[in-house]
Amino acid sequence: MNALTDRHRERLLGYALIAPVAIFLGGLVGYPFLSAIYLSLTEKTVGYPAHFVGLRNYGALLESGRFRIVAWNSAAFTVGSIVVKLVIGMAMALALHNVVRGNQFIRGILLLPWVIPTVVIALTWKWLMDLFRGLINVALIDVGAVKGGVHWLGDPTLAMVSVIMANVWRGFPFFGVSFLAAMQTVPQDLYDAAAVDGAGGWHKFWRITLPSIKGVVAVVTLLSTIVTLNDFNIVYIMTRGGPGAATHIFATYSYELGIMSQRWGLAMAASMASLPLVALLIVGVVRYLHREEE
Amino acid sequence: MRTLAKRLAVLVALLTVAVVPALAPQAAAGKLSLWRLKTYIPPADKILDANAQDCAKKVGVELAIQTYTFDDMWTKFTAAIESKTLPDIAELDAVGPARLANLGRLADVSDVVAAATKELGPILPNADGAVKFGGKYYAVPHYAIPLVLFYRPDILAKVGAEPPDTWEDIQRVSEKVKKAGVQDFPNGFPWNRTGDGYDPAMSLLWSYGAAWVDKSGKFTGIPKAQGLEALKVVTRAYLTDKTSAFDYLSWSGATNNEVFMAGKITFTPNGPSILFQEESTQHPLLKDTAIKLMPRGPAGRNLALTFVMNWAVPTDGKSQKDAKALIACVMARENFVKYMTGSFRQMVPLFAKPQDDPYWNTPTGKIIVDTVKQGHPVGWPGPTTPAAAEVVSGNVLTDMITRVIVDKVTPEAAIDEANKRIKEIYDRLPVK
Repeated sequence: MNALTDRHRERLLGYALIAPVAIFLGGLVGYPFLSAIYLSLTEKTVGYPAHFVGLRNYGALLESGRFRIVAWNSAAFTVGSIVVKLVIGMAMALALHNVVRGNQFIRGILLLPWVIPTVVIALTWKWLMDLFRGLINVALIDVGAVKGGVHWLGDPTLAMVSVIMANVWRGFPFFGVSFLAAMQTVPQDLYDAAAVDGAGGWHKFWRITLPSIKGVVAVVTLLSTIVTLNDFNIVYIMTRGGPGAATHIFATYSYELGIMSQRWGLAMAASMASLPLVALLIVGVVRYLHREEE
Repeated sequence: MRTLAKRLAVLVALLTVAVVPALAPQAAAGKLSLWRLKTYIPPADKILDANAQDCAKKVGVELAIQTYTFDDMWTKFTAAIESKTLPDIAELDAVGPARLANLGRLADVSDVVAAATKELGPILPNADGAVKFGGKYYAVPHYAIPLVLFYRPDILAKVGAEPPDTWEDIQRVSEKVKKAGVQDFPNGFPWNRTGDGYDPAMSLLWSYGAAWVDKSGKFTGIPKAQGLEALKVVTRAYLTDKTSAFDYLSWSGATNNEVFMAGKITFTPNGPSILFQEESTQHPLLKDTAIKLMPRGPAGRNLALTFVMNWAVPTDGKSQKDAKALIACVMARENFVKYMTGSFRQMVPLFAKPQDDPYWNTPTGKIIVDTVKQGHPVGWPGPTTPAAAEVVSGNVLTDMITRVIVDKVTPEAAIDEANKRIKEIYDRLPVK
């Protein structure tokens, strides 16, 4: 009886100890998140009361040709950015993994893009890609690669490529440093044994390195996907979603709807549109990691 | 021991009674908050702040000033509307009074307007539509920053062209400049998501008789024939004559200023800030920079007045009387003229008398004032309404143009799409 009481006490103490964190998380994460979901189910214009309309906002978005363009742009922006960041990040990690002298210094330099405020990065890339005064065009013309300036931010396809390039430049160090940290935990014995068996560089990477760091690769990719999908600054500063709506993505579209047009309900629905995809990704990665642990 | 504890308790209680009221925050009365636009002209902002602080002393209040830019204005105001924390005095843009008055969140300031009218003369009839609803004034017009046509007289002379007066003229001269090899893309009209895009878009449509409402502000739709004519002239520059670069469609607010001052374009619509920048930096292009009224079309020169700032008194504030007194003081003739004449001809009055001030009696000054005199409020020929505001802020008009240029939609389909969007907005936000 006494033991049971002690267990109860212990359990109560446990709840009491996690209560502050639970309240904190509930207040700061749960409440805004649930509010956003609720708002997305309402007709809510700034300053007016919200009226519950069920899934009408989502229906309106699905019918909207503009939203389809935005969804497509968001997918292209996110997938394009992540794939390139993954490749460059991996290359950076592999290169640094084998550098003995000046490793710390080079790592510090390569981390710079990740440390610089995004606004500065976006403004810098906007200037670099300017039709008339941009360094890239000036250089291309000077070396005779092109006759006139390339319309980096004017051509719809190139504009998307340009915002992806800026996003990649900002984000690849996160991939590289994370992969490098993971690579450094792989026992050297495995590589030595593989070398004895005659494995070359590619085989070592494919059979040892990649399987050993795939958990980190999955988590980093997931986190970056979420951040990239919600990116706002780069597109807003570089193109404002233009030309036309060629680079309009979920975040800039939601801003336009929610702040400029004051339509919070619809803006929330537009923001929530990527939620199922993100949720699926999170569940997938968590399950994968869990399986790996087991 | 127990006695000591009792004594301590009594001491703490006494201290609490004595000290806490002294530490408590002062009552809100006697303090005012003011939010204003941070303009491109810092010296003018300084004068305005000094005027406002002097006025605060006269009214007997303490004044806290906060600023916002054109880009973050609605972020700040949206949060304040929802949390019911609008300031005592708000400097609102062209659509702000309509939006907030429709919400019942602005005080009637007809008395302040009457006082200002005595000193500054009548309000321009064109400015009324943005601040007067149901016969009452809900904001006091402060100033307008009109968009004028910037052009390069030296380049025009080089190709033997006169300064353009119509939208077609701009196109014709741009072609000449391009053909002469002077500039590749001389026509710097950006149909983008900034005021440099949607303000000229309204001027364009209205100049072709393609307004989307009637005089009462009710939706009628962009008339197809007029809309097509307007679309034809501006899309040709991008699609056929290639006198405009697609990059212009991605410009942010200041890019056209920079590109014009870099000598890469012959024409661009802009507030007079290019003149300020060139004058203050003694820019080499200053002598080769000229301005003109924005172009006219077959239906006349129907210019948009989008960059208009107005003083309003939100009802969230507790000291509306003091707030009104402060606005009246800031708009008093002496204060206003001091501000206006320190604005490098950016801030144009919307009252009659200061427009006649000798300050404007310069070649550029006259054009700037004329632009305001001929300007129309957002939602013209009706009054400014929340629906009209959303047509502009939702970029419906510039989207219509870029759908043709970028997405290669037919002009007819682009107008149909725009009309569908505008109708949905007007159905959702009926005029109260």
